[in-house]
Amino acid sequence: MKKKFGVLLLSFILVFSLASIVGAQEVKKEDTFTYVTIGNQNTLDPHFSYDTGSAEIIYNVYENLIAYQGETVTEFVPLLATEVPSEDNGLIKDDGTTYVFPIREGVEFSNGNPLTPEDVKYSILRGMINDRSGGPIWMLYEPLLGLGSLQGLVTEVIGEDVSPADLSAEQSAEVFAELEKVVEVDGNNVVFHLQEGPYPPFLNILAQGASWGSIIDKEWSIEQGAWDGSPETIADYYDPAKENDPLYAKMMGTGPFMLTEWVNGDHVYLKRNDNYWRKPANFKTVVFKNIDEFSTRKLLLQRGDADMVYVPNQFLSQVEEMDGVTVTKGIPAQQNLSGIMNWEIAIKGNDSVGSGQLDGKGIPSKFFADKDVRMGFINAFNFKAFIEDVRLGNAYQSGGPIVRPLLGTSPDQPVYHQDLEAAEEHFKKAFGGEVWEKGFQLTLLYNTGNTARQAACDILKTYVEGINPKFKIDVRGVQWSSFLDTLLQGKFTIGFIGWLGDFPDPHNWVTPYLASDGTFGGWKGEAYAEWATEHTDPLIAEGIKTVNPKDREEIYKELQTLALEEGTDLWMDQPTGHNVRRDWVKGWYPNAMRPGLDAYILDKK
Amino acid sequence: MEWQEVLLKLIKNKISLFGIGIIIFFVIISISAPWLAPPADPDDPYMIPRAGWSIQPKPPSEDHIFGTSEGQYDIFYGIIWGARTAFRVGLIVVGISTLIGILIGTIAGFYGGVIDEILMRITDVFLSMPFLVAAIVLTTILGKGLDNVMIALVTFGWMGTARLMRSQVLEIKAEEFIQAAEALGANDIRIIMKHVILNTIFPVVINASMRMGSIVITASSLSFLGVGAPTGYADWGQMISFSRNWILGSQGNALQFWYTVLIPGLAITFFCLSWNLVGDAFRDILDPKLQN
Amino acid sequence: MMSYIARRLLILPVILFGVSLLVFSMLMLIGPYKRLSTYIKSPAELKTANLDTLVDKYGLNDPFYVQYSRWIKGVLQGDFGWSETAGQPVSKAILSRFPATLELALLALIPVIMGGINLGVFSAVHHNDPWDHITRVFSIVGWSIPTFVFGLVVLMIFYGVLGWFPPGRLSVWAEDIIRSGEFIQYTHLNVIDGLLNGNLRVVGDALRHLIAPVISISILWWAYILRITRSSMLETLRKDYIRTARSKGVKEKLVIKKHARKNALIPVVTVAGFMVLGLLGGLVITETIFGYQGLGKFFASAASQLDYAAVLGLALYFGFLLIIINLCVDVSYAIIDPRIRLE
Repeated sequence: MKKKFGVLLLSFILVFSLASIVGAQEVKKEDTFTYVTIGNQNTLDPHFSYDTGSAEIIYNVYENLIAYQGETVTEFVPLLATEVPSEDNGLIKDDGTTYVFPIREGVEFSNGNPLTPEDVKYSILRGMINDRSGGPIWMLYEPLLGLGSLQGLVTEVIGEDVSPADLSAEQSAEVFAELEKVVEVDGNNVVFHLQEGPYPPFLNILAQGASWGSIIDKEWSIEQGAWDGSPETIADYYDPAKENDPLYAKMMGTGPFMLTEWVNGDHVYLKRNDNYWRKPANFKTVVFKNIDEFSTRKLLLQRGDADMVYVPNQFLSQVEEMDGVTVTKGIPAQQNLSGIMNWEIAIKGNDSVGSGQLDGKGIPSKFFADKDVRMGFINAFNFKAFIEDVRLGNAYQSGGPIVRPLLGTSPDQPVYHQDLEAAEEHFKKAFGGEVWEKGFQLTLLYNTGNTARQAACDILKTYVEGINPKFKIDVRGVQWSSFLDTLLQGKFTIGFIGWLGDFPDPHNWVTPYLASDGTFGGWKGEAYAEWATEHTDPLIAEGIKTVNPKDREEIYKELQTLALEEGTDLWMDQPTGHNVRRDWVKGWYPNAMRPGLDAYILDKK
Repeated sequence: MEWQEVLLKLIKNKISLFGIGIIIFFVIISISAPWLAPPADPDDPYMIPRAGWSIQPKPPSEDHIFGTSEGQYDIFYGIIWGARTAFRVGLIVVGISTLIGILIGTIAGFYGGVIDEILMRITDVFLSMPFLVAAIVLTTILGKGLDNVMIALVTFGWMGTARLMRSQVLEIKAEEFIQAAEALGANDIRIIMKHVILNTIFPVVINASMRMGSIVITASSLSFLGVGAPTGYADWGQMISFSRNWILGSQGNALQFWYTVLIPGLAITFFCLSWNLVGDAFRDILDPKLQN
Repeated sequence: MMSYIARRLLILPVILFGVSLLVFSMLMLIGPYKRLSTYIKSPAELKTANLDTLVDKYGLNDPFYVQYSRWIKGVLQGDFGWSETAGQPVSKAILSRFPATLELALLALIPVIMGGINLGVFSAVHHNDPWDHITRVFSIVGWSIPTFVFGLVVLMIFYGVLGWFPPGRLSVWAEDIIRSGEFIQYTHLNVIDGLLNGNLRVVGDALRHLIAPVISISILWWAYILRITRSSMLETLRKDYIRTARSKGVKEKLVIKKHARKNALIPVVTVAGFMVLGLLGGLVITETIFGYQGLGKFFASAASQLDYAAVLGLALYFGFLLIIINLCVDVSYAIIDPRIRLE
């Protein structure tokens, strides 16, 4: 009896699974697009989002005033605005401090609410009030007010020691009056007033792909519990915890798709917005599936279950030969990798510096403040092997902090080369010969799972140790948490880390790396800050205030040369991007500022 | 049953003899590691030397008889020194966790009452988390490294022994000679050492030998998930994680990278198999239910 | 027996309290700034993030007892905190993933128990002849292959080469059906829901995704069940009533089927608790490899990202499950075998 039941059950399972196997082969639906990628989405709130995972979903649901044209990152087309402002059409005025956007009429959000200039104004102000800690909104404050954050504005208007979260209603209104000066509704136009002079990359900051420039529905947002539009309530809506953010998991945009379901870490489903103001999209359903295992993604692609997958650079060779798969390589992505050299290492309680002295068993705090030490390390690094073997040739070598094709770079720019003799010369001169005589010992850390950074550490170790047997380098992998911790506390020696461009302008590259208070520069201690205040800070400030592209180019070239010749850091490379998709995906073209998939431009017919 | 008798039975049994043979083979490999695969840096022999920087594995050749895995780590070197790692992890973790288990189990069983209750509830708490998951949490907190893996495995690996020991002690305690010794006023430690532990240790030791295999699998699972041994460390689990992205080969050549998964996979399987075979035979010999 | 059950239920909160204390103390081993990494995902965020403010915001620098009592206060009000990995409240994240894991575990139990018991009986009947050895060696080999090696091989053969069993939980088209208005999700177990809705395509698709992980779980547990069944079967076969039955001339097949087998199965029930625990632990690897969105995968990623609210919540949840399952096992054991009395 039991046996019979078992046999029955087994054959039942078998029949059904076989039936579904046969059934599955025919399911290659033309109206569903499946993109399989890694990671997850931090949030779906465009003003909170500062990661590519979130930005890619927001890109397909929300729209900005303007968008990039085709493959370029410098030319624009109108989107929710009807014209791209320029000096020529008179919509950029007052020496580049006033931007006028005529708003498109007849556009509706996917709930049927019409788009109005008021929505645009609300979107910008809501973002600036929301201004979450660690978020992207500094990109609105910097051009519009010349400040870094809402906290900065409150300090200026009310005084120090007041947090925006503690503002009373009157104080809030006072701060809001300043905020409101930057964006104004004028008939059917929205006008931006840059308070602190021109800011050349302002259009980039607002273009599609920048989620912080997304236009949200005022009425709907207030219904959900986002900022109520009142001047007096800043304190209630400033820097929300993610779980209390009303737009965390809800979306309402004007874009070609609408959100149906989001299970963080697993998938996002979008469906077509049939009421879209342009021609409706070709796909009824768009699926973003997160699968961290590369082998699984590869199989999904191979079997045609996925239309497009994310492939890490090192595994590209595994999909290039696949039948029915198209691979596009060499997209100049806005990212780089560099070895940040710590000019003044925090010695206390630091196990990366050995004894903390120049006695052959460690390194002193200001080890990398000596230019000869830096040049010794730089000349010892095998750049060719790194780009050819680790990147498999899919990278440009960097000539400083700025990436191609931005101002200040060129395909034939000077770069570093491995020169072991020069390295030896520099090490012999460093610290008046003491380094060469006594030797040193230090630890290089990388965050585990990042094979490129690990290889960079291993390469540096191999060649530097080969120069003098008294040089000793330990390479150690640590988790992201520990890695971040050593960087923040200035305990690293050389930290291999990359920057991902926020907007395609050299200003976004020289600031984090070279400014005395830059994101990375700020980790390198007083020794670096002193040097940078004198050499790089004035140039960076001049660069962003200069409107003429020719003059700007000269300034950034100078910064690039300065960084390279002084060897402030180990300038390594700019890995190029790529895209892997099935042959039946039509209409795809690259754009370096697109956060990921743009399902609207694609077709499977 | 006496030690000699058990050993004799183990050797007579073909299955366990096979297991013992494999264990001896791995012991020889571990001892002769410095000659089989001379380290580049004698101070740090467990770091596998890299034969280049390229990511793609390279098939067996004259210089690298088992080929190189992702990142050009020499597979032969990793297998040889990995045997040492496996023994080290297995023996240390099983040894220390068994000792802790014996200690706690004996105290709980011998003294009974409140002490027993408290110790057993603590044991329950530790038992309430799945072993692998608890080990993942603790290793993540402590950071990468074999020492941390061992600490985590010991922390969550002593409860089985403690329970076994406690029930053994309870059984023995009921017997007359212990009660007699207690009545004669012998001190606790003496009684525990002389009568209890000596009379109960046998099943515990067997239990320990059977745990070798699963401990080594758990340790390598941690490495596989990326929270175990440091990258480049000679550890079989890690070598398999190197193969993770290559296991499917390229289209039309599914077995292109067979050596990256098959060689370390076989090493770890045989290692665990040998201990499990011996353990299985052990249990058969000692299972009172199976005695004729 | 009622008093036994009551006593065990009374001890439940004590154990859970102990588990939470244990996990909490482990998590407090790491400094506040390191724990910030849960909230900071890329270097760009450092530009505007004020770290000290963040540490204050999440109270990471408070003394142990303050942080612990804050957490436990939330738990008592049913708030297990926010899981950064799942992007959901912890309780919601666990509940939404539990059906997936339950479905996998339940389906795995069928081949594990049926296969394991049959192998064990087979092995015992052929005690010490070559069939016995072959069966045992086969199952020990299965026990010795690490799940991550075996799982990858299964994936390669059954998906890569044959294309039968894809990773994940459902195909996209089946997800579409499930989320459509006509399909009612009674249990959130796709196989059962599919049957209840009379949609056999969904049932087939759900099974298709479940088979590969089930195979890799089964192979691991056969050895374990086999050993227990075999040993208890051998013991039973020597019992008097079996001998009597045999001497009466009852056919050997019938002896085994009617008498021995049933009694030999009792000890198998006792290990169910241990098995469930092992299954849950093993699912971490299986679910990770097959991209199956259940509790195991969630636990692995929460642990590796130090998502402390999720780790605590999951530890409590597993502890709770385990104690309840053990209790059920004990009670059913006492019901099956009247000779056992619960103390």
